[in-house]
Amino acid sequence: MNTLQLEHISYLYSAGTPYEMRALDNVSLTIRGGTVTGLIGHTGSGKSTLVQLLNGLNRPTEGRVLMDGVDIWEKPKEIARLRYRVGLVMQYPEYQLFEETVRADIAYGPKNMGLSPEEVEARVLEAAAFAGISPEMLDQSPFDLSGGQKRRAAIAGIMAMRPEVLVLDEPAAGLDPQGRDEILGGIRAYREKSGSTVIIVSHSMEDMARYCDELIVMADAKLFMQGSCEEIFSHPEELAAVGLDVPQITRVAQLLRKRGLALPESIYTVEQAAAALCRLMGGEGE
Amino acid sequence: MSSITLGQYFPGNSLLHRLDPRFKIVLAILYITASFLCKNIWSFAALAISAVVLVLVSRIPVSIVLRGLRPILFIMLFTVVLNIFLTRGETLLVEFWVIRIYLEGILTAVSMVLRITVIIVGTGMFLTYTTTPIALTDGIERLLSPLKVFHLPVHEFAMMMTIALRFIPLLIEETEKIMAAQKARGADFSTGSLLQRAKALIPILVPLFVSAFRRADELAVAMECRCYRGGEGRTRMTVLHATAADWLMLAAVILFGASLVLINRFAPGFTL
Ligand SMILES: Nc1ncnc2c1ncn2[C@@H]1O[C@H](COP(=O)(O)OP(=O)(O)OP(=O)(O)O)[C@@H](O)[C@H]1O
Ligand SMILES: [Mg+2]
Repeated sequence: MNTLQLEHISYLYSAGTPYEMRALDNVSLTIRGGTVTGLIGHTGSGKSTLVQLLNGLNRPTEGRVLMDGVDIWEKPKEIARLRYRVGLVMQYPEYQLFEETVRADIAYGPKNMGLSPEEVEARVLEAAAFAGISPEMLDQSPFDLSGGQKRRAAIAGIMAMRPEVLVLDEPAAGLDPQGRDEILGGIRAYREKSGSTVIIVSHSMEDMARYCDELIVMADAKLFMQGSCEEIFSHPEELAAVGLDVPQITRVAQLLRKRGLALPESIYTVEQAAAALCRLMGGEGE
Repeated sequence: MSSITLGQYFPGNSLLHRLDPRFKIVLAILYITASFLCKNIWSFAALAISAVVLVLVSRIPVSIVLRGLRPILFIMLFTVVLNIFLTRGETLLVEFWVIRIYLEGILTAVSMVLRITVIIVGTGMFLTYTTTPIALTDGIERLLSPLKVFHLPVHEFAMMMTIALRFIPLLIEETEKIMAAQKARGADFSTGSLLQRAKALIPILVPLFVSAFRRADELAVAMECRCYRGGEGRTRMTVLHATAADWLMLAAVILFGASLVLINRFAPGFTL
């Protein structure tokens, strides 16, 4: 369930004008339901374009997007309903806040769904908790919040629709480490509670390694690689060729291996590295 | 930056693209004036040929030029119908019930259509298709700069135009982004009563204004940080230089106008 499939997707911006731009070129992939999938790729590789296809904001120039085997554009009139099922947090979502209070802004999505006021209120509180918005903040004006807090309010606005697939375009970009962990932790909590599929776009390999089961690598409008973190991060040369990196700790482990330490190949989080080193040094924990 | 440009500018490197914008403005005015000099069928033929030559020289695809003519198709049709059915002349071609069509009517219709087409194509080839809006404002500022003597704020006017032109595509982009973001939250802009639709615009307008003011603020600060203080004593990054091509083109268009007058006078043919 909640499986998304792209079949031979191409997407052109400004088709038929001198500014025509092929942002996606024959991309086919499957995002399995219930997983956390990371989408990485250099700047301009088509990540934002791709995620906007998933909830029907962009209509593919060629190819089909399938949700649970059904073409999402089969009934174009009902595309709005799909957007409640596939919730998309756009890049820099803090610029979309508009209501007088944070509470009202988070309630915008659920209200559009036609839910009862009690249900809307319940969802607002639930989403605010996931996104780490304190109850006092709910009655403030969204324009009085800090950048990071605005970001969280915007994410809560999507979570309040309880989407089956939650898509986030660079949710942690430009935040301090604590802010990143809080946002990503909240996303994880949402997923554990709801069992939904999560897709995260990010430039941070460390975050990807920590939070994702699967990775999709885009390069120059094409699908470059797809696989588990282990599979992807075991190809550092290929990643470097398209302007990407492996997590720093993976490189450290690699260098240590070269110096003769018997570390396993698949190290891509600090925790894994610590555990492996402890095992090497004689087995006591931590 | 974003490739979105205002208007119809079509990137290229033809002779017309490379001309000095000041000359292009003058050329466009002269060319349109010349089109009003046509009086008989031969000078109209020359005018039509000159328009074709301009399109060829600009190397802009004919399909794009035709697309530019589409908005005025209705006006042209209207002109044709009015002229054909209402012009009274000497050579009666068709008489049927209350409808009387004269040769003069048809000729006037043709000449009107040709004139409108040439005006559109002429301004297009000299200005909108081959000149970026920024170059155009630059050209206007330089052409109007003698008016500074009368204390007209020419520089400020041009600066305002430039900033507005730069901001319009940004605002369009921003609007598209905000609309997409609100659509992702189930916003519906196309159904419902008029009042509902007006209300549906609030989630777009509020963030749009907030961001426009923020941008304007940032721009003002950035300009002050670089010691902007108006046009006084200000030099330019791109100084416009008239080249031989500019003067030759000017001569060619003036000659073209003169030859139209000669053709009117000496070539035999239907006077329109
Ligand atoms: N609205 C648009 N109009 C025209 N071209 C666009 C538009 N949006 C994106 N593009 C182009 O499409 C390509 C892919 O853009 P996209 O935003 O999907 O990249 P991205 O992978 O999300 O990059 P980033 O990491 O910088 O966010 C880019 O070359 C971009 O210039
Ligand atoms: Mg992006």
